[in-house]
Amino acid sequence: MSSKSRAAGGGRGTWLKIYGTLIFVFLYFPMIIVLLFSFSPTRTIVGLSGLTLKWYQELFQDTGLLTAFWHTVLVGLCAVAIATVFGTAGAFFVTRVEFPGKGVFRALVMLPFLLPGIIMGLTLLIFFRNLNVPLSMFTILMGHVSFTTPLVMFQVSSRLLRMGPTYRWAAMDLGANPVQTFWHVTLPMIRTALIGAGLLAFTVSFDEIVISYFLTGTWMTLPVYIYGMLRFGLSPKVYAISTIILLLSLVLITFMARYTGRSAETYRVRDRRGKRDAA
Amino acid sequence: MKRRTSKPRQFIKGIPIAVWMLALVVVPLMFTFLMSFYSSSGLMIDTTLTLENYRLFFTDPLYARILFKSIRLALVISVLSIAAAFPLAYMVSFKIRRGRNMLFMLCIIPLWVSYLVRIIAWRTILGNRGVINSALMAIGVIKEPLTFFLYNQFAIAITLTYICIPFVFIPVYTALEKIPRNLLDASSDLGANELRAFVNVVLPLGLPGLITGFIFSFIIALGDYIIPLQLGGTQGIMFGNLVWSQFGFAFNWPLGAALGFILFAIAVTILGLTSKFGTTEGGFLSE
Amino acid sequence: MKPDNAIDLVGVTKKFDEVTAVREFSTEIKKGEFFSLLGPSGCGKTTTLRMIAGLEVPTEGRILLEGSDVSSTPAYRRNVNTVFQDYALFPHMSVRKNIYFPLKMKRISRSEAEPRIERVLRLVNMEGFANRLPQQLSGGQRQRIALARSLVNEPAALLLDEPLGALDFKLRVAMQKVLKDIQRNVGITFIYVTHDQSEAMTMSDRIAVMKDGLAHQIASPDEIYNNPATAFVASFIGDMNFVHGTVRDNDGKTCLLDVEGRKVTANRAVDLGKGAEALVCIRTERVQINPQRSVENRGSATLSRIVYRGTDYEATCRIGQSEIRAVVQAVAWPTELRLGDTVDVAWSAEDVIVFPREEEADVIKYSAEAV
Repeated sequence: MSSKSRAAGGGRGTWLKIYGTLIFVFLYFPMIIVLLFSFSPTRTIVGLSGLTLKWYQELFQDTGLLTAFWHTVLVGLCAVAIATVFGTAGAFFVTRVEFPGKGVFRALVMLPFLLPGIIMGLTLLIFFRNLNVPLSMFTILMGHVSFTTPLVMFQVSSRLLRMGPTYRWAAMDLGANPVQTFWHVTLPMIRTALIGAGLLAFTVSFDEIVISYFLTGTWMTLPVYIYGMLRFGLSPKVYAISTIILLLSLVLITFMARYTGRSAETYRVRDRRGKRDAA
Repeated sequence: MKRRTSKPRQFIKGIPIAVWMLALVVVPLMFTFLMSFYSSSGLMIDTTLTLENYRLFFTDPLYARILFKSIRLALVISVLSIAAAFPLAYMVSFKIRRGRNMLFMLCIIPLWVSYLVRIIAWRTILGNRGVINSALMAIGVIKEPLTFFLYNQFAIAITLTYICIPFVFIPVYTALEKIPRNLLDASSDLGANELRAFVNVVLPLGLPGLITGFIFSFIIALGDYIIPLQLGGTQGIMFGNLVWSQFGFAFNWPLGAALGFILFAIAVTILGLTSKFGTTEGGFLSE
Repeated sequence: MKPDNAIDLVGVTKKFDEVTAVREFSTEIKKGEFFSLLGPSGCGKTTTLRMIAGLEVPTEGRILLEGSDVSSTPAYRRNVNTVFQDYALFPHMSVRKNIYFPLKMKRISRSEAEPRIERVLRLVNMEGFANRLPQQLSGGQRQRIALARSLVNEPAALLLDEPLGALDFKLRVAMQKVLKDIQRNVGITFIYVTHDQSEAMTMSDRIAVMKDGLAHQIASPDEIYNNPATAFVASFIGDMNFVHGTVRDNDGKTCLLDVEGRKVTANRAVDLGKGAEALVCIRTERVQINPQRSVENRGSATLSRIVYRGTDYEATCRIGQSEIRAVVQAVAWPTELRLGDTVDVAWSAEDVIVFPREEEADVIKYSAEAV
């Protein structure tokens, strides 16, 4: 930024920063509360009675919860696997093939991700009922696949578009047939996008409650299980598991930040238009 | 150098995604649409086609009232989210030089913290034995816990706003980042102070991002049913609850299908507005 | 279809929906020739190159590579390689792996390939860079690696799509020499796309000058410069004066024209009848000011503008309503001349080129009004 715009923002900047900080605090305050309460032996404000790990211990003895946790991981991995295959194929299709009505097609694919979960939940519920499919892991998995696939497709197609057609042309020009081009050139170049999209999809799937709640029978994922726990009031175990989920999310985000974002940009073609390089 | 329509052989690539789309989007929607014309008698579903469900929606004031209430609340929530997210985005984009990426990530993190955890957090804060009440009682300001924090529209509003802020932040921030800084240099060079630069340069250019953020927030708020269920109590029944209950204890799937389809129509129309007036690229999936 | 042609283009046409990008392009490119496609952006030169490479399929016409018809052969089965404008070095591969890639596609083992890779690196003066990644190289270095990668397969022809476009001026001139040397040494056919006419003129054996999909002239630089086939070619290459004239007489060998009321003689075969409206062209460096010896086409004019350009002077002379620019070497410039002076301008009848007036629309103008 030039010195002019810096100077122009001088005094006003401080008020803005104060306001911004307040919003920031607002954003993080609830999570800190949860964190604190997970270590508090009573249900009142922490600090009065010291810290305890009692609730975490109870967590690990709750078999229902542990099973639900495992279920969530399982669904997450499966959904990501399926979404990656379908989403990547879709990305290649959408970026390489021209056909009328492509905009509508793309919109339809993105719908499950953009619409409120309740709509997807009920449409799928009706769908499975009409086909007489009982509510089970399968239905939940299908629900998760519905919103993770557009995510993968969007990320991968963005990457493909940024990559541009030149590398493919170069590969083919140098003697690689389409399969070889895909395997040796395209795939390695979208690898980071794939991983990033996969992590993102897993994170979203892990936390998903809205659609899952519609499609769940007795086979439960963790959010559904926790939701059930909420029916009986806020037991401190809830805070403990919430804190764990918080930490897990943070770990996943750190991984994601590594794979998407700036690091992935090293593969971007430096835009030469208008730029003059020296030797 | 794109051809208008590609060779048929290339469409093979599209088969997986087409199958996916049919199975998980198109056909379920069609089934839902169809079911909205059925009716429910007891535990059975009568498949004779009827417009009863839609008629009910349009004539019974209950539904209109609740939909209207939900829309109003969703608008309020969206405005609040923008009021929170826009200045934050402006601050990070224009006022922070070092560590901007870090700060951006910090603003995004709440998005990835579990939705459920965030709801639990607010129940804790707002409840009778929650943080606010306990704090106020401890200081001695009040003797009895204040009940107006929870189980009403206020609780829904504040929780949903909390959820929506990151969803608004991202498109707004993306749009603001795209504004070339030399435009601001040029405007200040031509004599504009910061307010005028803001009104004439930043706001118009950042508007698509704002619109996108607003619409995302609106749709999230309108369609949510879990937060009203958890925090709304009897005063806070929203359209989402209404739809949900048809599949729960009210057990009127056809009506639920009809209401759901109406919600779908509203959402799709509004999303259509985004692509017209908002930013298409970026959204909340860019890195 | 002779066997010592590297490439034959026979009536090659390319249409994209309603737009015709390349119109009936025909030529024979000999082995070892340095052939350039020159023209402004959008003229179809890159499309033509891509059709030769196999990245586009011609709508009509045929392309032959060393005698065999490859019009519908895909790019990966054609024995030509391309150096792309942005080099397209695979970023996830080292320089060595990049160069090995075409050999790998031919299933040549690493041990066999290694000496070839080394050889081609030496050719472009980039030994020692084998383990670097493309991101670690400068623009000029990447360009040379792209060249090496395309040469390692010893293709029948090398296609280059404005390869020097991103380099700064001094480097570009140096690389032109490098490319030309490599082409001579290896003896390989080069097909070179550029919009820079001086580049094409210095390096090529033959140039195809294109506009709007049509090749206006395919000839040697000398021929194109001195005998441009159309007004467009005349304006695109070098610095040309254009004035309006009318044909007074034409006997097939000499043409007499009326320009601004004075007689102009052209010693050229001109295909225009008496009374026809013409475009009269003279190269700026061929216009003489106050010449000592006797020259045809002499007349007086007023100096309306003098620009000193270091190596030469550009003097604009007004003759009636028209302006003729003369470029005179600084050493030969009559230093007593001032703005507004009346001078004699003259040019040899050999140097007059005449085109039909309609071609004026094709002339590339470089003036403030044209912007």
